[in-house]
Amino acid sequence: MNSIPAATKPAKLPASIVEGADARTRPADIAIAFDHVDVELGGRRIIDDLTLDIAAGEFVCVVGPSGSGKTTALRLIAGLVKPSRGTVLFRGRPLEGSSRDIAVVFQDYSKALLPWRTAAQNVSLALEARNLPAKERPVLIAELLAKVGLQDHAGKYPAEMSGGMQQRLQIARCLAQKPAVLLMDEPFGALDAMTRQSLQDEILEIVRSSGASVFFVTHDLEEAIYLGDRIIGLRSNPGRIGATFQVDLPRPRDQLSTREQPEFLRLRRELFDFIKDAEHERGR
Amino acid sequence: MSAAANRSVTNRASGLVVPLVLIVVGEAAFRAGYLQGDVLAAPSRIFLAFIAALRDGTLLAATKDTMITTFGGLALGGLIGLALGVMLGSFARLDRLLAVPIEIARPIPSVALVPIAMVVAGFGYSMEIAIVGFAAAWPVLITTRSAIAEIEPRLIEVARVLRLGWIATIFKILLPASLPRIFVGFRLAAGIALIVSVTVEIAANPIGLGHAIMMAQQSLQPALMLAMLVWIGVVGFAMNGVLIFLQQRLFGRAALAGDPP
Amino acid sequence: MKARVAWNLASIAVVVAIIMLWQMVADTKILSPAFFPGPDRTWKALTRAAISGDLAPRIYATVWRMLIGWMLASVLGILLGSLIGSSERLRRFLGPTLEFLRPLPASATIPVFIVLLGLSDAMVLSVVAFGALWPMLLGTVHGFQAVEPRLYEVARVLHLSRLAVIFKIALPSAMPDILSGLRLSLTVALILTVVCEMLIGVDGLGSWTLISARAFRSADLYAGVLLLGLIGYLGATALAVLSRRLLVWKHGSR
Repeated sequence: MNSIPAATKPAKLPASIVEGADARTRPADIAIAFDHVDVELGGRRIIDDLTLDIAAGEFVCVVGPSGSGKTTALRLIAGLVKPSRGTVLFRGRPLEGSSRDIAVVFQDYSKALLPWRTAAQNVSLALEARNLPAKERPVLIAELLAKVGLQDHAGKYPAEMSGGMQQRLQIARCLAQKPAVLLMDEPFGALDAMTRQSLQDEILEIVRSSGASVFFVTHDLEEAIYLGDRIIGLRSNPGRIGATFQVDLPRPRDQLSTREQPEFLRLRRELFDFIKDAEHERGR
Repeated sequence: MSAAANRSVTNRASGLVVPLVLIVVGEAAFRAGYLQGDVLAAPSRIFLAFIAALRDGTLLAATKDTMITTFGGLALGGLIGLALGVMLGSFARLDRLLAVPIEIARPIPSVALVPIAMVVAGFGYSMEIAIVGFAAAWPVLITTRSAIAEIEPRLIEVARVLRLGWIATIFKILLPASLPRIFVGFRLAAGIALIVSVTVEIAANPIGLGHAIMMAQQSLQPALMLAMLVWIGVVGFAMNGVLIFLQQRLFGRAALAGDPP
Repeated sequence: MKARVAWNLASIAVVVAIIMLWQMVADTKILSPAFFPGPDRTWKALTRAAISGDLAPRIYATVWRMLIGWMLASVLGILLGSLIGSSERLRRFLGPTLEFLRPLPASATIPVFIVLLGLSDAMVLSVVAFGALWPMLLGTVHGFQAVEPRLYEVARVLHLSRLAVIFKIALPSAMPDILSGLRLSLTVALILTVVCEMLIGVDGLGSWTLISARAFRSADLYAGVLLLGLIGYLGATALAVLSRRLLVWKHGSR
């Protein structure tokens, strides 16, 4: 039997925060909850008994070797994949397909943008989907483009923009949904180091001002520490939670000083060891 | 069987459903008398007519004629198209100079040249080969031209540094680098060559498969006519299939991503 | 910009040079004037036919047949093509049949249509429409089939309605293939119109050239061929302009 509505079942707390505490207390505002979720595709178990809560406004980073189900977990929240068992809950209610309040930033940005629409028109797509009256769109579009620094490129086509700019455009389109949850699937993986760093800071600022929860999948361990409030480390075969790491670094984060903090370096070593172990286990 | 292999077997099987259903329904309709045999013909009769034409040699003779004109025209037009394409692709100035004449000559429908060819050469192989050549030259010219023009400039720099003369550059660097796309041009031209051949035979020239199918219609033999139609389809399909097979063998799929099917 | 205009003029000059060469060769009468008239005679024949009022109805007839057949084929082709192209199941069942029909010469269906509809205008229209349908259909199917799957996921996440997905995502994405299908099927429509006119003798440019050929009126014949080329050229150019307008994003406004 799968879905038991969250209201009648005590929610699980993230493992590393409280071990063995009274599981009956329910923290307010859980944005996303995985409730014993299994995903099986093509006879293989991709995700096994995933149980996880993401609080409102929390920035959760997900790391793990290939095949650990990171992207699948993201797609579960996006409504692009259905669980074989268990439930995914958004604000306490089971997710039925995609929710308008959950936005997805895909890694392959050039494929996720409409090449025949300008930057402004691409952002407009999200507003059209919301059935926003045409008169109100230009103001919002200008605002959103300004938020990601593309206000001078509104009339350009994606093919005329650099990788970083295209990814920013995708972010702007997602923000047009006024999302409560932002899903990001290795969004900066294809970009050069400098662009990646400036986008990291931009995302932190955007998320801070909007209060959205973030589910951020990445291969880059330092990026995970830099951005996250909490890091979930997944293992593979089958995909499951291996460890959870609380990130006790002050905000706002800074590219230079944060990365030099002893806490940062400690987490870095722990994560590194975890991944090495998880990869090794996967190879076996 | 793996999941992918399973899927492709079902794919192939579902592809055959439509033709099989058509054949079965057609046969049943004729047997039951819903359709009459004077306008169209039952699949079984079509098959018999096909066998008969095969036996008495007419099918093979007509096929031979059409193949001669198709491949003759393909060779003629292909060579001209190739030569012109190499020149236009290598010399940008020549390309720009000849842009307008080519734009004017290209849209002339090849069939429109039938009366001219008729007047000059009468009926037979040569007039048809000439027209097929005209039609087949264009796809070869255009693909060769862009294949050559889009060759990696670095390779041309290599040729210059090695001091190859322009003949050597063409044969040792330009042609081999552009061969995959040139082959695609020839493949397209082959399809066009067959189509134009049959069309010329239907419009005027009393040889080949086009003529045979018109004869069948005029002598009120619907079964033979439809058999010819199917056979023409089979010939075209087989030709294309062989060329695609060759293309994959010679060049592999990676070299040709994004090309027309 | 100036360089481009200059090259265009130079290219037109080449055309003029070719015409003059043509005149010179014709004047030497190396090739019999019975089948190689010079541009002067061709032009005279053209103006003569235009003035006598015989030319206009012929041009009109040919163009009308070509356009009507082409438009029918285009509408049907886009409709069917979008249905088939966006349905994986339909593609599985119809795909191989369509692939088999792709290399089939459309003109080979003419005798079948003659049997069904006799030697009439209806038959010509049917042949043209049927023949022009296939490149349109195949092109549209390919366009819809090749829509970037990621865009469908984006549409799901944004909650676009089904109609919005078709008109805002699938159709614009398939537009390049649809446009090249339109170009190809216009070419096919013209060819089939000419063939039918030659076969049946209904009045039009195709039959005019054939009759002129048989009567050895070579100037008329060449005039007719040039007119057919002109029709082909105008059609291709019109579609090219349309293409460039609609596909600005592809060719870049850089």
